Amino acid sequence: MTERALEGVRVVEFTDELGSYCGKLLADLGADVVKVEPPGGGLQRRNPPFFHDREGIDTSLDFWFHNTSKRSIVLDLDDPKDREIATKLARRAQILLEDMPPGHLAEHGLGFDELKASNPALVYTSVTGFGQTGPHSHWAYSDIVGQATGGVMTLAGEPADPPNQIAGRQANISASIQAAQGTMAALLYAEATSQGQQVDVSAQESLSMSQETAMQTWDFQKRNRTRTGERGMLPISLPALGVYEALDGYVYVMVLAPAGADLPELVAWMAEEDKAEDLGEEPYASLIGTLNMAYLTQVMTDPSKAAAVAGQLQHIHEVIGRFIASKPARDVYEQGQQRSLLFGLVSTPEDLANNTQLRARNWFQEVEPAAAGEAVEFPGLPYRLSETPGRLGPPPKLDEHRDSILAELDTVEAAR
Amino acid sequence: MTVKPLDGIRVADFSWFGAGPIAGQALATYGAEVVRVESSKRLDSLRVGQPFKLDDEGKPISSYNVSGYFNNFNAGKLSFTLDMNTPKGKELAHRLVVESDVFLTNFTPRVVDRWELGYEQLKQINPRIIAAYAPMQGMEGPHRDFLGFGAVLTPVTGISHLSGFPHRPPIGVGTNYPDYVVNPGHTVTAILAALRYRNRTGKGQMVELPQVESVVNILGTSLLNYLANGVNEGRIGNRHPAAAPHGAFRCADDPTSLGSEDRWVAIACRTDVQWQALCDAFGHSAMATDTKYATLADRKANEDQLEAMVGEWVRELRAEDVAVLLQSRGVPAGVVQNSQDILDKDEHMKARGYYQYLDHSETGRSAYDGPGARLSLTPAGHRAPAPLLGEHTFEVCERVLGLDPDEIGELVAAGILA
Repeated sequence: MTERALEGVRVVEFTDELGSYCGKLLADLGADVVKVEPPGGGLQRRNPPFFHDREGIDTSLDFWFHNTSKRSIVLDLDDPKDREIATKLARRAQILLEDMPPGHLAEHGLGFDELKASNPALVYTSVTGFGQTGPHSHWAYSDIVGQATGGVMTLAGEPADPPNQIAGRQANISASIQAAQGTMAALLYAEATSQGQQVDVSAQESLSMSQETAMQTWDFQKRNRTRTGERGMLPISLPALGVYEALDGYVYVMVLAPAGADLPELVAWMAEEDKAEDLGEEPYASLIGTLNMAYLTQVMTDPSKAAAVAGQLQHIHEVIGRFIASKPARDVYEQGQQRSLLFGLVSTPEDLANNTQLRARNWFQEVEPAAAGEAVEFPGLPYRLSETPGRLGPPPKLDEHRDSILAELDTVEAAR
Repeated sequence: MTVKPLDGIRVADFSWFGAGPIAGQALATYGAEVVRVESSKRLDSLRVGQPFKLDDEGKPISSYNVSGYFNNFNAGKLSFTLDMNTPKGKELAHRLVVESDVFLTNFTPRVVDRWELGYEQLKQINPRIIAAYAPMQGMEGPHRDFLGFGAVLTPVTGISHLSGFPHRPPIGVGTNYPDYVVNPGHTVTAILAALRYRNRTGKGQMVELPQVESVVNILGTSLLNYLANGVNEGRIGNRHPAAAPHGAFRCADDPTSLGSEDRWVAIACRTDVQWQALCDAFGHSAMATDTKYATLADRKANEDQLEAMVGEWVRELRAEDVAVLLQSRGVPAGVVQNSQDILDKDEHMKARGYYQYLDHSETGRSAYDGPGARLSLTPAGHRAPAPLLGEHTFEVCERVLGLDPDEIGELVAAGILA
């Protein structure tokens, strides 16, 4: 059996929604992650959807996805005996991962300063909404608040609508991904020097990079980027650039891009299927030959040239629209890409489950959560490591591993 | 000199655009020496992408070194210009890989093959190399050669279908979102895990990050809902299945918010207690126990009315005041901030000093995103601003590749180092 990348790394985590994805990344790479949960379990165990609509503490799919490969024990940190068990777990861990309000664990005898006396190499990672320091460090947090204060919501959505959140609780995800990097860097340092340290992650900060160019636009030009909706940053709509409705869904078309074939290739394809209508004739044929990246660049600085042919551009857009509307979205995507046309399927979860590439590469993994009583296909890992491939283990039922965890602690204590 | 986790690690960074370079930059903040290989013959498009630093008359400075887009992703690296489409360029690239611990690229598999940078080749010349590839779809498989950018990745991975309001088409999220944290962050996590394995065993390996696989992971719950339950989820706007009210609510306009005068506050009530606190805060305590809204189930059943009512309560107030008021009562709330807020107004961000201001020879003092995690003993950070195009070509040739000045002169004359 191959060694895993994080073989032998013991992690104790006190996380709910914010830090659980970080723990999952470590666990799926081979770390032994013990999830300490409060009596009754946390918020994420209560999040819909539930397996086969069986609402319960062990059947949340949101919990399952973010807690693969972990073990669970319930400990009440207000109870001195449970607190002692938690302390023992922390003393023998290489990594402590937590997302409690700042100071909460320290108040229960599980702060970094207390633990480092007996475990000097401990990496102590805290993932919170606003970080461990600063005037908002005690602010109440939920994912949408992170997305709002972190600057990504202001960029998403139609100007006529409220700013949009990004699906999938991306402030939590971003914070967890930043935490995984910082934790791994600190682990390498601890393994080299036997010195542990604290890793402080703020969900608000963790999203900042995802402002794309908005931060630098303010810094350099004192302009705010705002949400521009479907048109994006273009001053005028252009054909073959944007969302098109297909027979059974949507495709995103980006033919006017720095990569891939240009518009004449798309029109040639349409002609092969007798759907090019009059685009082979003037004035359209000549205009289509010029609609490329250079044209787009010109339009960005001087929209007047495009405005002069707005009617023709609109006609080309409509003919392309009729062509796409006549075909299944997945065919448009795959056939277009085979012609080097930059098309993207607007995938639904069903499309992803049937994605040709993901299936061909056996990306999905079967997992058998104890609460399911049967194998369930899960999304696979974000990366492939050739020598130390990651692997998904089942997510735990609440307190599922109490006995084995306590037995291990007894063995360790007996050996002292 | 501060000791950092990746001191002594050298990264051969053959990446471009967003996802690859950000991963290289993160490794640099942890102490690695990152040699960014680029070419003036085929520029990284971000070097010529907005926003540019403006001159005194407000016009963009004409230079390859003043794009905030590029600079923010490449701080602290060495820029080494090399023409990879020449035999000598390929040979020098291999010498750089021999002298490196980590190789990083997000070029397409086709280009990787053409440049002879595939893992089978690299491991022959450096068995200890950790070679990280971050192609759009994967290094193999039926969609291997599909083209893509972040803008296409967003729809293909399901972000567009699941984000935004249900009455709108799937317009995306306004940015190439996966490029900036998700893909580089996953890449770095995998590289660091591989480094740990190498520390223990001496063995290098190939790390592959098919961007589609990486990004689908961040929508794992929705995908699992289909796989396990057969439910094909759609867009839910700003709502949350286990919270109400949950969304962005319009407040009073603020003309000092330049180009972004409409102001919004995000509010999330996860519990009935938070809902009661919200009602109290706005002087509508009776609503907290109104049977239409008392429990989460009630509020979900009357969510349109609920949102309209909360919307009225905040419409004339300043967004900042609403956030502070609700936070004082323990309700999750925050201003939908723009970059002006984040850089200039947000006292919390300032107090934490997240942004690093660095002196760059062509842009002057400018802001860079700081590291996403604060390490107390070995703080991460940028050792230098972004490099000028080719700024360190001679240094890399001499110090890293061991070339003598005559050899370097010949390479320059032959156009290899451009």
